[in-house]
Amino acid sequence: MTQSALDGVRILDLTSEMGWYCGKLLADLGADVIKVEPVGGDPSRGRAPFWQGIPGRETSLRFWYFNANKRSVTLDLGQYDGRWLFGELIRTADIVIESWTAAERAELAEHDVDPDAYMKAQPALIWVSITGFGLDGPRAGWEVTDIVAQAAAGIATLAGYPDGSPMRIAGNQAYAVAGISAAQGALLALLQAEATGSGQRVETSIQEALSICQETAHLQWDFQGASRERVGESHRLPGIGTYETSDGFIFSMVGVPGFGAPWTEVIGWMDENGMAEDLTEPEYANTFANFNMRILLDEEEQAKHAPVLARAQEVLTRFYASKTTMEAYEEGQSRRLLIGQVATPSDIADSEHLTAREWWLELNQPTRLGSEDAALRYPGPPYHLSETPASIRRPAPQIGEHNQEVWVDEVGIPAEDLIAFAGEGAV
Amino acid sequence: MTSDNAARPLDGVRVADFSWFGVGPIAARTLADFGADVIRIESEARVDGLRLGQPIKPGKTGYNVCAYFNNFNADKRSFLLNMSAEGSQEVAYRLIERSDVFLSNLTPRIFERWNLTYEQLREVKPDIIAAYMPMQGLSGPHRDFLGFGAVLTPTTGISHLSGDPDRAPVGVGTNYPDYVVNPGHTVIAILAALRHRRKTGQGQRIELAQVESVAATMGPSLLDYTANGVNQVRNGNKSSWMCPHGIYRCADDPSGRERWIAIAVGDDAQWESLRAVAEGAAFTTDDRFATLLGRRRHEDELNSMLSDWTTSFDAAALAIQLQSVGVAAALVQDAEDMCEHDDHLAARGFYEYLDHPETDISLYDGPIVKLHGTPGYLASPAPLFGQHTYEVATEVLGYSADEVAELTSSGVLS
Repeated sequence: MTQSALDGVRILDLTSEMGWYCGKLLADLGADVIKVEPVGGDPSRGRAPFWQGIPGRETSLRFWYFNANKRSVTLDLGQYDGRWLFGELIRTADIVIESWTAAERAELAEHDVDPDAYMKAQPALIWVSITGFGLDGPRAGWEVTDIVAQAAAGIATLAGYPDGSPMRIAGNQAYAVAGISAAQGALLALLQAEATGSGQRVETSIQEALSICQETAHLQWDFQGASRERVGESHRLPGIGTYETSDGFIFSMVGVPGFGAPWTEVIGWMDENGMAEDLTEPEYANTFANFNMRILLDEEEQAKHAPVLARAQEVLTRFYASKTTMEAYEEGQSRRLLIGQVATPSDIADSEHLTAREWWLELNQPTRLGSEDAALRYPGPPYHLSETPASIRRPAPQIGEHNQEVWVDEVGIPAEDLIAFAGEGAV
Repeated sequence: MTSDNAARPLDGVRVADFSWFGVGPIAARTLADFGADVIRIESEARVDGLRLGQPIKPGKTGYNVCAYFNNFNADKRSFLLNMSAEGSQEVAYRLIERSDVFLSNLTPRIFERWNLTYEQLREVKPDIIAAYMPMQGLSGPHRDFLGFGAVLTPTTGISHLSGDPDRAPVGVGTNYPDYVVNPGHTVIAILAALRHRRKTGQGQRIELAQVESVAATMGPSLLDYTANGVNQVRNGNKSSWMCPHGIYRCADDPSGRERWIAIAVGDDAQWESLRAVAEGAAFTTDDRFATLLGRRRHEDELNSMLSDWTTSFDAAALAIQLQSVGVAAALVQDAEDMCEHDDHLAARGFYEYLDHPETDISLYDGPIVKLHGTPGYLASPAPLFGQHTYEVATEVLGYSADEVAELTSSGVLS
């Protein structure tokens, strides 16, 4: 039997979309993650894309992806009985994760839903708060979304076209980073709690975690007092940037000393294909044989070689355009040139490499759209642990699917009490 | 401030850090922030490119003055070990024996040449947790493909899905996956493996194929294709459900710097709040925008009219005003904003300023997550190149002064 790294860890996941990834990461590593949803379900269950394009709270592919492996119970924290049930459930838990807004946090506090009180009653409890801007500071109360976080974290300004607006990086990356930050915090606190018996509060500020992705922009400000600007591909040298192929795009980063084969390898590749034109002549060959950091970084040096660089750009652009994306990617990489396919989702789904690595998982997901489950080809985990692999053991839960199992069988609420709670809407 | 000897969760954990450039050292820095003793292997024969990168402290040269390197290596010890030198393997193995975690983002070709495969490390230290971060994984037809963040952004779908639909993809302006996604996933795997080892005494191998780690963040777009056959395209700054949703031009600042604001309206109540703040602007009285459906149908026109309105405002002040009525909005901050004018980050003390022997007081990112009971902190700035070679060789590896001299003159510790 396969072991799990997080065997025996119970987590209550009260998050909305912003915090889903944290629970998924921990659930896939073996934790028992129970999604605690409001009656009627987590409002962010209704996010696109949907199975067969049919919108609904039980058909969101986004919800499924981030909530597989979790179980679901419902309760109304606005009602006394709902809070009592929550208290009973917390007693069985090691970690609570929530991503409440400041307004929600204040409203819950009025109902005596107070993290500090739960932690005082249960010293080993770990309470993870995923927030846009942190629990304190002048903007602690601010609303956050993915694009707002990317703006506030200093990364949107670097992304996009220099003649256009700052750009949001695709894939709700602010929420991915939120989950990655919070999962690290949860595990650090778990190691500490298991060693000492003391739990603690863990706090993710998405702005802070995401700001680490500024790369050198903030460091450049600190040393040189200048803000890095959005440059897109406006100052590019031949071999560096996005190029059109016969059926799409590639990203090429060749000729940077220390990163793969030198520029002369590109000329050899073009020559073998009969497309080097005059770049094999000494004038060009000599410049590229000496292609160095100075040419890359020094504008004066670039100006000196401008005609040669412009000519190389023309020839290379024609050469890449004659190749399919996969040809340019695979032939280039086999020559140790840093070339990346600008992949679409279908390219990734069809990748022979990922298929050979058995990255994709198979999962049957109930849909409530009739008796047939959705047979999903499911993106795999971010890592392979040889002894305790991440795995998907169950599909994403339907709203309250595990009420009976959790409340009656595990928490020990008498079945007739659960019926009464359901009657008043607490469950 | 936290006192420099406060307990941290990874106290007593030693990391043999054979990684370099961004993604590996950043993972190790988080481990260091939370208490691990990270021994960073460096060599004159193979100087980390980030030590030679930008930005450097004005007026300074050498290996110790690049902030790109320094920021990601605070709190570590730098140990010189030339893995190409005869006798280096014994030193490396002696370090592995005394370590809990081995970390590498070297290509498989290199760590195989250096005899640092998991099977070999396990012989030396049976319960080692060995984390490898190859670009494409340890197997598969693209195993030896090269790359880093700039190549991962395209190969994982991020480039294709970011930017304007009617323009070529432009990337994201940085090596984005190198900074949190890949190092963060690696740290999660290491922490999980540490827990498993504490419970069972068993170590293991962690393989983080960087391309898989980034693709895992793109799950919904990938599922849309595998489940529905829908191959998504980039859609600018629009959202599938929020409207208006985008980044809008505001008034330039007095120096001519472009200023922008991000605004995301998630429901009708927020829309009404935005209308109230914008009272008098043309878009607030246009019936076509009264409902979400109407706003989405006429989204380009709405965005254009909204921009006409924002263009006269101070972006930072407008964000505060919108947030005060519950509309998600923020100034699009640049580095100057982050470091100088963000009173929120400053109040929280996120950035740390450490005194470094060659770069003086310099800015470092704070820990990626805040633990209230046992917080992470930066106990020291980045090490100078080879600063701790003697200390590590004697105190950790148990070599005598004579042996260190011998290993140094033979080029092993260089």
